[in-house]
This record gives sequence, structure tokens and C-alpha cells, in this order.
Amino acid sequence: MSSGGRGSDGDRETESGGSGGSSDADRGRGGDWRNRGRQTLAWLVNASAVQRIAISLTALAFAVLVGGALVFASGFVASCRQPVIYIPLLGESCYNPVEVYWTMLEGSFGSLPNLARTLQETTLLLFTGLSVAVAFRAGLFNVGTQGQMVLGALATGLALVPLGSVLPDSVVGMLVAVPIGLVAGAVVGGFWGFIPGAMKSYADANEVITTIMLNFVATGIAFYLVSEHLGDPGTGSVQTVPVPSVARLPPTVDGSRFSVLALVGALLVAVGIFWLYDRTILGYELRTSGLQESAAEYSGVDAKRNVVTSMTLSGALGGIAGAIYVMMVHYRWQTGMPSLGFDGIAVSVLAGNNPIGVIPAALLFGGLKSGSFAVDFALGVPGELVVVLRGLIILFVAMPEFFRMIGTYYDFGDQPETAAADGGERQ
Amino acid sequence: MDRRTFVTSLGVGATVGLAGCVIDDSGGNGSGNGNGNESGSGNGNGDGGGNGDGNGDGNESGNGDTTAEDVNVGMVYSSGGLGDESFNDMAYNGVEQAEADFGISYQNAEPDSPADMNDYQREFAGSGEYDLVCCIGFDHVTDLVQNAQEFSDQQFVLVDAVAETEGGDLVENVDNYVFREHEGSFQVGHLAGLLTTMEYDHGAASTSPDDPHVGFVGGQETAIIDRFEAGYIAGAEYANEDIEVSTAYAGSWDDPGTGQEIATTMYDNGADIVFHAAGATGGGVFEAAQSAERYAIGVDDDQSISAEGFSDVIVASMVKRVNTAVYESIESVVNGEFEGGSVQDLGLEEDGVEAVIGQDFEGELPSEVTDALAETREGIIGGDIEVPEET
Repeated sequence: MSSGGRGSDGDRETESGGSGGSSDADRGRGGDWRNRGRQTLAWLVNASAVQRIAISLTALAFAVLVGGALVFASGFVASCRQPVIYIPLLGESCYNPVEVYWTMLEGSFGSLPNLARTLQETTLLLFTGLSVAVAFRAGLFNVGTQGQMVLGALATGLALVPLGSVLPDSVVGMLVAVPIGLVAGAVVGGFWGFIPGAMKSYADANEVITTIMLNFVATGIAFYLVSEHLGDPGTGSVQTVPVPSVARLPPTVDGSRFSVLALVGALLVAVGIFWLYDRTILGYELRTSGLQESAAEYSGVDAKRNVVTSMTLSGALGGIAGAIYVMMVHYRWQTGMPSLGFDGIAVSVLAGNNPIGVIPAALLFGGLKSGSFAVDFALGVPGELVVVLRGLIILFVAMPEFFRMIGTYYDFGDQPETAAADGGERQ
Repeated sequence: MDRRTFVTSLGVGATVGLAGCVIDDSGGNGSGNGNGNESGSGNGNGDGGGNGDGNGDGNESGNGDTTAEDVNVGMVYSSGGLGDESFNDMAYNGVEQAEADFGISYQNAEPDSPADMNDYQREFAGSGEYDLVCCIGFDHVTDLVQNAQEFSDQQFVLVDAVAETEGGDLVENVDNYVFREHEGSFQVGHLAGLLTTMEYDHGAASTSPDDPHVGFVGGQETAIIDRFEAGYIAGAEYANEDIEVSTAYAGSWDDPGTGQEIATTMYDNGADIVFHAAGATGGGVFEAAQSAERYAIGVDDDQSISAEGFSDVIVASMVKRVNTAVYESIESVVNGEFEGGSVQDLGLEEDGVEAVIGQDFEGELPSEVTDALAETREGIIGGDIEVPEET
């Protein structure tokens, strides 16, 4: 809990420095915490974009401090051959927090191969994050991106294998193979999103429950199909035959498995989704249908169908994440796919469910994943501790945004003025 | 702090924590245990790796002027990760033993998913600082075939699979260790078949001669577990042609609840002994055995030691010495005798697998049973008994 407390302390400090105009601030001095809490929430809701970015950066700094202290303290309990520091009475610490963070940074952005590893993860998280964000935008919580991704990846892996003998191993062949892979993943993933969408619309089944359950169904179906019928007979592992080289996205950095083509595609999709939801009539209808069904119906929109559309679109994006995973990263479907679908939920929440915000959020997650890989590899710090560091950073950065959502929900702040003040006049 | 803020943040913390669990679980289920064909707890199998003495001086050849202290080993485990108290921990025992005997150094890497294995293999090989990279588990094989050919100067060891090129040739710089699990499983199947056919009462359980019936519980239906099952059934039928063998798969390596359910059903239907090859799921099988007062057979490790609370029902264990494989491969590097492009096929004869009698049952089995077991062991080693690899 100390972490939460420090986080809000930070916010309050920024408050007095930043907005400066809270006339009620004096009341808080009497120990009126409740009031101060309200003010903080109101201030968070009213915060301008610049302030929000500043808050996020401050939170990041605090997360690093707290995480560093934690790593340092754990070093006293651990045993190692070469302690970093000896403090009388306390004993010796094995871990150097500065070194840990430096390795993390170096490991995620320090060299071309490391950057490629970061961007590989970022690309995949962009798709899963967008998948979750699309559903959130329409008021739907799609927890099923993982399952949609698993089945999408399987569809892509299976669809691409026979192409090896048909297509020439050239750019032309790739121009045919890659779209086929993407469509296969999108169709199957979309279908897996369509099911809970239809169940939500026409049977009133809560999509949170159905999508969670369908994840298990998806994993089970995929495992069964591959282990019993469609697997690679030449191996003891539950996996499909590797896809032919014509269907593999060319690595941009030698030796890595990252293709800048996929990243550009992901960025275009993010912009496209933003445009769809914020600038088109269809997007507006999709949003209202999920958020306020009756209102949508009154204005002549088929809300039920739109919910299905949103979930299908969300599932298709999850399926594309699976397709990219097969074509760019793993070159085959194998049981035990990474939990990118679940990480996508965190990415989307961190981004405030904004398709453009998903881009930096995915980059942060990608960098953390890649960086913790480097720490795990280079230092004696146990992997679990690195996971804690990752979690702290995510928690700290997401918290202000989370409280902002709470504040907005309970009508704190001054909404109409916010819109007017968005130009930064507040400062 | 404002109480409401406190409560809210507490709620948030709990939610995030929960989400973390969900993520972890799914990672674990998916494949996590793709390689953990077996289970156990603790690491009681001390006899496996301790049999080489430090030979730090006799390593002139091969690695030039490397001395044992300079040997650096990269360990890439399977996605079940360390702490699984079975497959991966056995491999870890092997490298620890090598560290103690030869003074080598090593670096562990635990992939979260099979996709990470490629990254770790390349990272170890690409750094050029490792004399040997050990890849634990068959999920490594596809990536390793590619990476080993690319990093042709790097020495690799692969456990539980064989690295072959598309043409069917062995990859030159990979030493492969595979186990003939069916041979050891035949032995424990033979033991189970003999015990269910006679009247036997020791420990917390007993058998009766009528209705000879034994059971098998697998984790996930992979090719390796199929070898366990095939050998077990063959062994049981060797002991008694009319025996009934029930088999079932839990579909998971870490679901003791399902394991207990399956085993309880088997015991209720008259099975006297159940053998599991199901990772942590097997813990449920032992529970069921104790409540039904029937016997169970452990796997991978001597589980009468590693799962000591159940030693009164664990009549034997099918031990698979992954630690020996790792230890021997490191020893070969230390001695400069590393041989890539070879397959070490470890069965009963090489002590790679063995039916180890449970600690409470040592010397308590009827001599006709132990004699028969010794006889079939000789038969398998001598080739008189052909053990099937597939059901």
C-alpha cells in the first residue's frame, strides 16, 4: 500500500505546483483528507494533456525509485558470491538497482538487435491492445483476445503450409502469402469474437464471462487438433509444420525476428481505428450501441448488430496478432503461446482505451519485456523480481489514469470547461 | 490517507494481482509444462549425478587450453521453469552437481513460452561466452536445428529430442540425450501387474488377487507420455495376460484435483495400483491412493523421497535421470571430449531410466517379485523382451 500512498503524494505535489488555483486547498491542512481526495480527483479529471503526460512521467520516476529500493532490499536476503555493497549492521546486498535498471534500458533500446526485440513485442502488443481497446470503446470488455489470437495463429499456420509448394519463393510469392495468412487469422479470430458478441446481443450473456470461458475452449480445441490431427509428425512437441519461407516476414535486423513491415502495418491500423471510431458515423454508432443501447435504438441504430460487429472486429484484430506471431516470430503454431492477449488488456487500460495511446503503451510493455529478458540473462537477479519491477512500473503509470477514470465516472471535475481548457490555457 | 482512497487502491491492487494470476495461469497451462512429462517434488535423487569425480586436469584436448574453472554453461529450461520439482529441477540438479565437482560456472534462463526459447538460444550462442548451451525439453528442437547450424562453433546439448536437419542428418554440434521411458515403464508395469495378481499388504495399502486391475494417469497426450503408457501396459500384460489396464489423461500437468478424481474412479473400479506420468497432477493420484488404501507409482524422481508424505503408498518410481544427462554432457566438455552429432539413447542398461522401489518398500517386497523384476530387466537389456514405444 505504501506504493499507492506515495503515488498520490506525487500527484498532490504536482497539483500545488501545477494548477495552483485551488482555493480550497487550505481546508486540507486541517486533516480533511476526504476533501483533499475529492480535489485531487477533480484535478485529475481536469488535467490537460500536457499535465497528464507529466503525471505519467512522474509516476514512472516513482515506480523506478520504489522498485529500486525493493531490489536493493531483496539483495540483503539473497546470497551471492560477489556482494555489491556492505552496510554495517545490515549486512551485504547482492543487487545493484542502478545496474538492474541500466541493463533493462540497455537491453530494450541499447543496440539494434535489442531494439528489434523490443519492437517485435511492441508490434504484437499493438494488435492485441487495439483488439481490447476496440471492444472497450464500444463499452465491451473483451477478455477473450488470447483465445482469438491462439485460434487465429493456428489458422494462419495451417493455411500457409501448403503454399510453400505452390508459390515462388520471391517477393511476388510473399505478396500473395502474407495477405492469405492475415485473412486466415482475421477470419478465424473474428469468428471467435463473433460468438460472444452474438451471445451478448441475442442471449444477454455477459461478454466478460463468455470470453474468459472461450479462451479455455480455444486453447483446448487448438491443442486437440494439433496433437491428434494436424500436428508435425516429426516432433514430440505439440506444434504444426513450420510455414514455408515465402510466408515469413523478412527480418529487418539480421538475426532478429522483427519486420518493420508489420510494425508499420500495426501503426496504420491504430490510426485507422482511431479514425473509424472518432471520425465516422459507423464508429459513432458502434460506440453508442455498447455504451447506451436504448439511446442508440431510439436514434434508429441496430444496437444488437453493432455489438456483434464490435466484438467481431475485436476478435479479428486478436486473430491478426496471432497471424503476425506465426509469420514474423515463431514460424509455426505451438502450444503455449505467450500471454499477449492478456497483456493487451493492460496495454489498453494504460492507454485509456485510446487507439493512439495504445502505441506508447505497447512500446512501454515491449521495452519492459525485452529489458527484463536482458536482466534475466545478464544479472543474477531472479526473474520473479524483474516481474515485480515490471508490475510496479505498470501499476504506477496506470494508477493516475485509473483514478481519472473513476473521477470521470463519479462526475468530479468540470467537464465542459475541460474541453475548452484542452488547449493548455489552464497552465 | 483518505479511507476511501485507501479502500479503492486496495481494491485496485487486488484486481491487478488477480489479473496477474490469470495471466500466469494461462501461460502455465498452455505449454508451460509441455516437457514436464513427470512430476515429483523436492529433489531427492541424489544418486543420479554424484558419480563423477572432479577431473579438472585431464582436459588437454578439444577445447585447447580451457580449464574446468573456465567452462561456462548456459542452461535454457523448458517453459515449465525451475521450481517444477520435476523435469527442470532435475536438470538443474545436474548442473549444480557439475558446479560442485568441476567448479564450472553457469547461467540459467527460463523461457516463459516456447517462443522465448529461440531468443535465449541465440543470446547464449551469440555472446560467444558459453562453452556449452543446454536446451532442456523437446520444445527446443525446431529452433535449435536452425540456430545450431547458424552458430556452428557453439556446442549444444538437447534433452528429450534429437536435432536433425530436414535431410535427416544429425546436426553436427548438438549432442542429443533421449530416454527410453518405455523400458522403465515396462518395469513398473510389470511390478504393478505382479502385485495386483497376488495378495500383498504393506505400508498403508494392500492388494487382493481377484480381479487383477491397474491404472495409468497421464498429463497431456504427447508422444513421450505415450511411451510411458505403452511400456506400462506391456509390462502389466507381461505379468498377467488377463489384466485390465485403465488409462486416462488429465489434460494438464498441474491439476492435482483432476488427478485425484481420475485415480479415485480407477481405485473404486477395482484398480489396485495407479502409475502416473502427469507432473504435479500426480500429487492428486497419491492423495487418492492414500484415501483408497491402494498403491501408486511415482515418476521422474524417487517420489517416495521427494513426496515423502506419501511414501507409505508409493511402492516404486519410474526414475528418469535428466540430471545425469546434463552432468555427463558438462563433464564431456570439461574433459574436452564433447561429441556433437551424436545421440545418447539412455535406457535401463545405461541407468538413464530405472524402476526404483519406494523407501518404505525396500526389502519388503516378496522375493519372487524382485526376482521377476530383475529377470525382465535383464530380458529388456539383453533384447529378449521387446518393449513397444507406442500404444
